[in-house]
Amino acid sequence: MFELFTSMVKEEWRVHSTMFGSLSFALFPVMIFGIAFMGSFLLPLMRTTLPAGNLTLIVHANYLMLGLVVGGFGLLGNEVMNRRFGQASLVAYSARSLPLSEKFIFLNFVIKDTVYYFFLWVLPFGFGYVLASPFTGVPLTGALLLLLTLTLSFLFGLCGVFFLSTVYSRSRPVLWLVLLAVCAGIGGLAAVTGMNPVLFFPPLLLNTAFTWVNFLISCAILALLFGVAIVLFNPESVGSEKMYRDSFAPLMQRFSFLPNPPLAAKDTLDLYRSGSLVGQTIFSFLLPLVVIWFFLSLLSPFFPPHGLLFIVAVTTGVIASTMYTWVTMFDTFGPYACLPVAVSTLITSKLTTFAVLQVIPAIFIMAVTILSGEVAYLIPAVMLGISVSFYAVGIMAWLCGLSPNVLVYDVKVLFVYLILVGVVLAIFTAIAFSNPYFALSSVILVIPTWLLVQKAKVRWDSVDPEGF
Amino acid sequence: MPVVLEAKNLTKRYGEVTAVDTVSLAVEKGSLFGLLGPNGSGKTTMIKMLTGQTRPSSGSATVLGLDVVHDPIGVRGQVGIIPEQETPPSFLTAMEYLEFVAAVRKIPGIEKKADWWFNFLDFADKKNVLCKDLSRGTRQKLMFTQAFIHEPALALIDEPLINFDPIMQDVVKDYLEGYVKKGRTIFISTHILEVAEEICSGFAILHKGKLLHTGPVAELIVRGEHLPSFFLSLVRKDRHV
Repeated sequence: MFELFTSMVKEEWRVHSTMFGSLSFALFPVMIFGIAFMGSFLLPLMRTTLPAGNLTLIVHANYLMLGLVVGGFGLLGNEVMNRRFGQASLVAYSARSLPLSEKFIFLNFVIKDTVYYFFLWVLPFGFGYVLASPFTGVPLTGALLLLLTLTLSFLFGLCGVFFLSTVYSRSRPVLWLVLLAVCAGIGGLAAVTGMNPVLFFPPLLLNTAFTWVNFLISCAILALLFGVAIVLFNPESVGSEKMYRDSFAPLMQRFSFLPNPPLAAKDTLDLYRSGSLVGQTIFSFLLPLVVIWFFLSLLSPFFPPHGLLFIVAVTTGVIASTMYTWVTMFDTFGPYACLPVAVSTLITSKLTTFAVLQVIPAIFIMAVTILSGEVAYLIPAVMLGISVSFYAVGIMAWLCGLSPNVLVYDVKVLFVYLILVGVVLAIFTAIAFSNPYFALSSVILVIPTWLLVQKAKVRWDSVDPEGF
Repeated sequence: MPVVLEAKNLTKRYGEVTAVDTVSLAVEKGSLFGLLGPNGSGKTTMIKMLTGQTRPSSGSATVLGLDVVHDPIGVRGQVGIIPEQETPPSFLTAMEYLEFVAAVRKIPGIEKKADWWFNFLDFADKKNVLCKDLSRGTRQKLMFTQAFIHEPALALIDEPLINFDPIMQDVVKDYLEGYVKKGRTIFISTHILEVAEEICSGFAILHKGKLLHTGPVAELIVRGEHLPSFFLSLVRKDRHV
């Protein structure tokens, strides 16, 4: 049944290429390659302040985080299979009329997504590093090994979250037990060896000293996590009719202070009833950030005093901005097309819900600040994280309107996004490094954010709201 | 009778493809007007343009006196629309969806009105079920309800009977005929010609985006012709051309 897989791959390509052209989609991995290639030339410079091993750690942590962020298939499996692209008839859905099990269709869907992520993100980055190796003095074997271990790092994140999110969708108490067991295992490893447990992360172990045994063990762990997740995946039973009491009217009443109470109430019910408010918070937000915080903490000697806190705050801000995709993923313009609702009204409503969700990153940054004993910098750190998040979402709304999940793969969109976000991150990280209290100046980002949102409304109101 | 819907040289192009090609037509108040055509003839695109869901490439249209290009939200506020594919939001119940529609359209007393519709279309037992779990027929009932719950002066319906069982088709046909008798207007698109002949007072035939004919159904009856045979002969002739 390789045909199903190839049809899904073709379909994914066409969904994106019909949105913004084949060339713009095809150039996406080229840009990632370019970034890695050009970035490789900075390595000799960076090595003067940061040992090579620590650089490797950062890159692996980033790929692990990418895998963690995209791996929540178990959580949203049924939803993405049904409505990811609105009313577009997807192979994943139409294949249900064929003599194929739901699990088999889902397996193909997950593999297709993994392959896409690999070719869009992982391979171009590693390939850029490999091609730059003759010029940067990095041995080719080292560069190839990095490509392999980055792939494994990404897959560990993806399979790990796929497994955990599937357990979550089956039984929440079991998830907590699993997480407890994982934490106990990591703690036990640290206690027994007296070493930092991060150093036992299989891709890092392989990168330090490649052995076939370790490689096979890594592959076996991945296969096990992936296999168990597929077995545990519970396809939505057709014909099930769960009754709900009317929560819309009371919610709307409660949100009467917001600009669009009915839209805010609908978004809230979408997030709550789909299970993604809690699930996404755990798997697409908390878990990746805790992991990156853990990894970054190993580099704290190389940061200026209090630097780690502000790096975590900025990273939290960027990840928190992706919460906009949580609220835009449930519906296309379709359900609103028969109502007197403008695209700009919907953007306002989605951004309002996004703003409410920013309580989560604010609490997270507060927790990090308290746990790291830097309560004195609580307000500047929270201010920096939340300002970055709002600024990044302003750019996202301007560039992608209501379709950030799809349009992010337009190379032009990604390029502009990276430039606009990158410049601001560099400036405000440097400001926070020079004096933690200067991070309060990030409040100024409210001005470009407001302007971007206004531009987003005008821009997307003038575009046909058809399609996605 | 005053004209409530008027299209002048309405055209929609998608790249090289012309979905609707310089179509002009007018619909009078109090009529039940049928836009007929084979699959892919441009009926849905036409309805989307007339309801401000998509912008025409050229030409103009007014609905209830409002320009569909300059005031699409105003148009959608005045009319009732049932789109081609039923798309109530997944995670609202049927009742909550109607409350949502009422809040957006600012319709008072929604509970009473919703209950009347739940009973009329026989789906009261589904009012607390999530929209994603409803059958296609029940979703169509819900979409039908949202289009008429504010009693619009004009309703535009894409394939009104497509997901209904024969009993419900009868109920809906009666409702539509009664609705226009109250002086309101209905614009339907369909390729079920027998239904169009039975309930429509005026009609237009689209083929490959072009308007082949528009006029009253009574005109055909006077000539002793039937709508299905008239439609087939016109479309077949156009195919050969």
